[in-house]
Amino acid sequence: MLDVDITGNVGQLDLQARFTSDGGVTSLFGQSGSGKTTLTNMIAGLIRPSSGYIRLNGATLFDAASSVNLPVQARRIGHVFQDARLFPHLSVKANLTYARWAGRRQGTRDFSEVVDLLGLNALLDRKPETLSGGEKQRVAIGRALLSDPNLLIMDEPLANLDQARRNDILPYLDRLCVEAGIPILYVSHSIEEVARLSNTLVILSDGRTPAFGPVAEMLARTDLGRATGRHEAGALIEGRVTQVDDVWGLTFVDIDGAVLQIPNMDARAGHHVRLRIRARDVSLASIPPEGLSIRNAFEAKIKSISEESGPYAEILCSVGEQVVRARITRASVADLDLFTGKTVTVLIKSVAIDRRQRSPVLPNAVEHSV
Amino acid sequence: MFRRLFYLCLVFLAFLLPATAQAPLTVFAAASMREAMERIGTAFEDETGNKVVFSFAGTGTLARQVEAGAPADLFVSADVDWMDYVVEQDAVRSDTVRPIASNALVLIGAADGPKVELVPGELETALGGGRMAIADPDTVPAGRYGKAALESLELWQTVGARLAPMENVRIALASVARGDTPLGIVYRTDAVVEPAVAVLAEFPASTHPKIEILAALTTDGSHPAAEPFLEFLQQPRAREILHSLGFLTDKVN
Amino acid sequence: MDFFDLQPAEWQALLLTLRVAAAALAVALPLAVLTAFLLARYRFPGHGIVNALVHLPLVLPPVVTGYVLLLTFGRKGPVGAFLDDVFGISFAFNWTGAALAAGVMSFPLMVRPIRLSFEAVNPKLEEAAKSLGAHRIVAFLTVTLPLALPGILGGAILGFAKAMGEFGATITFVSNIPGETRTLALALYTATQTPSGDLAAFRLTLIAAFVAFAALIASEMLARRLRARLGGGNA
Repeated sequence: MLDVDITGNVGQLDLQARFTSDGGVTSLFGQSGSGKTTLTNMIAGLIRPSSGYIRLNGATLFDAASSVNLPVQARRIGHVFQDARLFPHLSVKANLTYARWAGRRQGTRDFSEVVDLLGLNALLDRKPETLSGGEKQRVAIGRALLSDPNLLIMDEPLANLDQARRNDILPYLDRLCVEAGIPILYVSHSIEEVARLSNTLVILSDGRTPAFGPVAEMLARTDLGRATGRHEAGALIEGRVTQVDDVWGLTFVDIDGAVLQIPNMDARAGHHVRLRIRARDVSLASIPPEGLSIRNAFEAKIKSISEESGPYAEILCSVGEQVVRARITRASVADLDLFTGKTVTVLIKSVAIDRRQRSPVLPNAVEHSV
Repeated sequence: MFRRLFYLCLVFLAFLLPATAQAPLTVFAAASMREAMERIGTAFEDETGNKVVFSFAGTGTLARQVEAGAPADLFVSADVDWMDYVVEQDAVRSDTVRPIASNALVLIGAADGPKVELVPGELETALGGGRMAIADPDTVPAGRYGKAALESLELWQTVGARLAPMENVRIALASVARGDTPLGIVYRTDAVVEPAVAVLAEFPASTHPKIEILAALTTDGSHPAAEPFLEFLQQPRAREILHSLGFLTDKVN
Repeated sequence: MDFFDLQPAEWQALLLTLRVAAAALAVALPLAVLTAFLLARYRFPGHGIVNALVHLPLVLPPVVTGYVLLLTFGRKGPVGAFLDDVFGISFAFNWTGAALAAGVMSFPLMVRPIRLSFEAVNPKLEEAAKSLGAHRIVAFLTVTLPLALPGILGGAILGFAKAMGEFGATITFVSNIPGETRTLALALYTATQTPSGDLAAFRLTLIAAFVAFAALIASEMLARRLRARLGGGNA
């Protein structure tokens, strides 16, 4: 349980952050320059806030009022930096076990478990300079995990990697987020990573935290366009795989109100999956269409219409308990005579739900305990 | 900004220009002769109008410099061996070598100290945990005379290992004056000019080779006043000055 | 090969020089490392003054430095008298005084390259070490120091060479006592002052040059090997 309420300024940035999180993966999301790294550095103890408090699992890490400011080495916060920061003169193994032999952390975590989790077995005797960017980050994550932390901060770990490396490492991150057993604070400016990995989302914009809460809820909100980046807006849908059709290469996912058909999805029947559907990939029809190549067409009820300036409108449609977001022109809203409560057909081009936006295995947010 | 820099460079370079006025007479003399030479130099200037400049150092240092062609017109050595050396090296004209004076060797200590007999026991006590300052016996005449004196008085066993050899006799003098060394061996003429030290004992002339101070003209020197100055050193006016400072000038001429 | 047979006096000077330089290094190097680290990492009031003081022996004439040492550490000097009275330690006219002079003169030559090598170590690595539980000193010893080692080694060799060749401050502070303070440089000087000393002077020059040369080559090889083992300063 992380409870943060601080103010401070570093350089040009004036930071005022307030949020709580109940465990699992909490994402700190915002554009570049919004203060994400400053905030995590304050939580880690590398920068001192001017006022407020930081509490983790009931223990006070910082409290301006009572002049408490635990030094970095006493906070037991594992920190994975954007630039890995592996010790170049030590082998990968020595890097991984650094907290044990230099930090005097006993470590309740099993070394070989962490190595397996992150696929580091082949790298143990290598030197950091011989590793690729993705490999370095994995070692950095393993090193932080083995320091037996109460909280793991990951500060834009994928930002310096190219697309291929990122794809390599994401499966490891998926597993990590499930098996870590400790709360994770994940910082990113990529809505895809955030949507894929987190349970709680904290929005950071211009040094302020305008909103925080469960991730699906946050992403569905239409008033956070500026903070989230309009072109990335979309919905997070949870579902269960019911069937895999090998003949046509399609996977059927029940999202409780409709069944989606998704090609090339790497999942088995019974798996829970999380899908991200971008608003601009969703179309609406007032009459169920026929003769279309789009396979995913289902009924939904309009929950809200928000008309912003410019040609577009954002429509939220309920499908069972979940919400799908569509972006269409205001002109079409008028032409189709759309209004709150109206039943429409939601159309999602199957290709729009692509690999990047699917996470194979994630438990429900509700199941996470502190 | 660059123009100012340029002018500054010009000023700097001006220092490198050689002096165009008549160069003064240059005399290299042993450190122990400092006061005597300076006074004699002033007297010479009064009489003849020729300016004299001196360079004082240990005799050995000067001998090496003269040998290497330093721009000296005269060389004043505190002992015979070094003068022989420079003659041999043809740095000095052998036909111009003249004895100027002689000196006595003394044991000095702090100004308010008691007199000391030149016997092992008393020297040990006077030294305490400290050392005896002396010009380097390996290279400086004063040191060589001192070592000879200590040996012939059978004091070398006692103090031989307790010496602090220095570059020249004046540095040894200053060391005792400062209190860094409780005892020292210098010329009597040195003790005279330093109020912070007192003569504790005098080494009999028989205990060391005769101290001879010699002067000669260098082979490279060409100053017209050189020979007159060499003459001047042997005349009554100079002798008077030397006497007043404690030098011995038996009638060697 | 008779020419290369060393006289006892020359052996004495060589061994004494090595002892003096080693002692000087043993004390001055850790101090230089500490000073260099403080100057590299911390901006404290008086930073500029400390930096200037460190470099003073580099710009003052060595004889002046020797004179200052004499006034301070001599028998009658404030520090010298205190050390003598309280601890019975004396630097005057002692090989330890020669080591002190050598150490003072080589100190700034060591601080400069060591400071540069500390500045080249990414301070963010120290942050990472702290996040893993290492205390400041442990982080320094396990991360910063090993990465700065090539520069420290370079500085040490430079300091050692300077200590071996130190003359002006030494002869002024502790005079020229054979076996006690007559290091190679002073022995060379004495030889040049002796009428028949040319041959000895030449021999001593060769010895000094040979030792210095060997030291420099060894340091270069060692530094290169270390650099390869440590990788870059950032990873």
